[in-house]
Amino acid sequence: MKRTQLTHFVVPAIAFVMAGPALAQKTPWGDPDLQGKWSNATLTPLQRPAELGDKQFFTEEEAKVYVRQRVAATSGDENIEADRSAGNVGSYNDAWMDRGNDVVPTRRTSLIVEPANGRVPPFTAAAQSEYERNIAHAAEHPADTPEDRYLTERCIGFGGGHAPMLPEPYNNNYYIVQTPEYVTIMAELNHEVRIIPIDGRPHLPANVRQWTGDSRGRFEGDTLVVETTNQIPHRHYYGVQMLNSVMSDQFRVVERFTRTGPDQIRYRATVTDPVFTAPWTVEIFMHPQRGELVEFACHEGNYGMSGILSAVREEERRAKESGR
Amino acid sequence: MKIIGVAGAALATIVIVSLGAPTAGAHHAFSTEFDANQPITLKGTITKVEWINPHAWIHLDVPRDGGTIEKWRVEAGSPNTLVRRGMTRDSIPPGTEVVVFGYRHRNGSNAANGRDVTLPDGRRLFITSPGTGAPASE
Amino acid sequence: MKRPILILVGLLLVATAGAQQRSSAGGIPRLANGKPNLSGVWQASTTANWNVLTHGASAGPPEYGALLATPPGYGIVDGDQIPYLPAAAEQQRRNYDNRFKEDPELKCYLPGVPRANYMPYPLQIFHSNEQLLIAYQFAGAARIVNLGPPQPSAIDSWMGISNARWDGDTLVIEVSGFNGMAWLDRAGNHAGSALKVVERYTFAGPDAIDYSATLEDPETFSRPWTMRFRLVRNPNPAQHLMEFKCVPFTEQLLYGEFYKQARE
Repeated sequence: MKRTQLTHFVVPAIAFVMAGPALAQKTPWGDPDLQGKWSNATLTPLQRPAELGDKQFFTEEEAKVYVRQRVAATSGDENIEADRSAGNVGSYNDAWMDRGNDVVPTRRTSLIVEPANGRVPPFTAAAQSEYERNIAHAAEHPADTPEDRYLTERCIGFGGGHAPMLPEPYNNNYYIVQTPEYVTIMAELNHEVRIIPIDGRPHLPANVRQWTGDSRGRFEGDTLVVETTNQIPHRHYYGVQMLNSVMSDQFRVVERFTRTGPDQIRYRATVTDPVFTAPWTVEIFMHPQRGELVEFACHEGNYGMSGILSAVREEERRAKESGR
Repeated sequence: MKIIGVAGAALATIVIVSLGAPTAGAHHAFSTEFDANQPITLKGTITKVEWINPHAWIHLDVPRDGGTIEKWRVEAGSPNTLVRRGMTRDSIPPGTEVVVFGYRHRNGSNAANGRDVTLPDGRRLFITSPGTGAPASE
Repeated sequence: MKRPILILVGLLLVATAGAQQRSSAGGIPRLANGKPNLSGVWQASTTANWNVLTHGASAGPPEYGALLATPPGYGIVDGDQIPYLPAAAEQQRRNYDNRFKEDPELKCYLPGVPRANYMPYPLQIFHSNEQLLIAYQFAGAARIVNLGPPQPSAIDSWMGISNARWDGDTLVIEVSGFNGMAWLDRAGNHAGSALKVVERYTFAGPDAIDYSATLEDPETFSRPWTMRFRLVRNPNPAQHLMEFKCVPFTEQLLYGEFYKQARE
């Protein structure tokens, strides 16, 4: 009898002792520790490429091949001669990029893990019509005012600075600091600071809308669960990963951050919005960022916006003159 | 650091296809801002580099026939990744001679995007072998 | 045989309960490592953002009447003067004359250091043992403050690079690597890219921080000079910074000349 009781004591106690590394990843006040500099750069695309069909995971060998292909394809140097003849103005080569040098550790073929086809669910019929109108509008009015341009080009927001945190082609770096009342995530791109209270305070009133929404978090065991609402709906919301889109004011994201090891945070985010026929969930793994975050003062150096607008005005002027 | 090449393929387009995004639009405004029908090669001397976001800008003095000097500016990428790879404000000093291949700005000004920036001895600026700068997977 | 195991389990539980998160030795909040804990929402009680020197009331743009007039206020500068070199004094006068066009604040540009600390909006500090982030409500400006070995700045920036060390219970932050484009206030006071700022944050009781900043820029000033004011804690713990992304409010101003005009 006594021996059985001892066993009930001893086994958990020993398990507790042997849990060593997990204990080291707690803040002094006992919350899971997510702090530090992290990156979510990855070569895995948001959506599974159509040519991969139903293939959910790469094998190790396939992943290596895919990585080589992706790095070569996005390097740009490989294509420069072809592009000169094609007259493609091009973009950045790999020197400017920070997509990392690997796919996600699970070797999934997409960041989207639900639905099973690895793709953003279809819009509802009404939302699909709105989407098509957005595309048509953009073709007719590429740059009447900055409001026709992407949030990234306006220096209002990039993919990692709000929920869901989607990687951009570069500068996918974050600084996480915790206090007993807050988990705060600063994204390098656009120096976004997401302040996430974890003390149960309510959301802002529904009529108060922010470009980064309004986030509230809580720890469930080892996982930080964050709910974001109060988003300003916008069609150019998802950074480069998903351009012209449709959002409603019911847009809501639930994120889950779990420190799965000293060098990894598993990130999951589920997007729900009545414009989609189903919710969708991404899974991305954050790894340590070695090196500092660098200031990204976007608006202050934004020659690009005046360049885009003036370029389109000049084209309109020439078209008008040649039409006379 | 070994210097290889700059600016590559229709990167934005390739990215979009690979990502399978639902839209055909390009993220970057490159083709809105720069004209594929106006390729240009500039040989000149760097006078200033603005290491700023969202794009760094390289300013050149380009000598023309007859002794005039044209002032040009060339658009590059976000410098932050390069900074993390060891670049500083002094890395490409004024006085450096370069050859720039790019496409002219559609607004008619002396501006272009820096598709390909080369030093006269053949080294191409804005390096790095693909994939460096991020941690290995294993 | 039972007792030693109970003691072992007891010790484990105590050891792993998590160190205290709140102590207040000396009447100020402290981190687990004993250092003062600067976390909280703070705001400067001063009109320095209009003018860091003592100033009377003056008119704003006439169409906005009293709404955008400059209020009066006491200065925050030791000696109530800024030791400009002659050319820099000229530049300040030009800035002042053009302030309703040229002030970077007008354009929602990052305010730089020290101005970010005395704008009339809150800032929020997140401070843990190894991490320190200062977030500002205006334009979402932010500074990561390096608590480890000092880092040099590789390129210039609006908010500079911040390296911190402790001097007793005072946090000393050295800020450098500025691009010289920020102003110090709406009156056109300014510094250049050679600016170095040494900030000192010292608690004056649990709900106030005495802040000072010493500015040194041999290309702009004939000697270093110091400003000082008090940051006051927001007593409501349920309030954190809200988003003040002012970029969209400046687009017409900055790009309006390139907008497509409606056709007749």
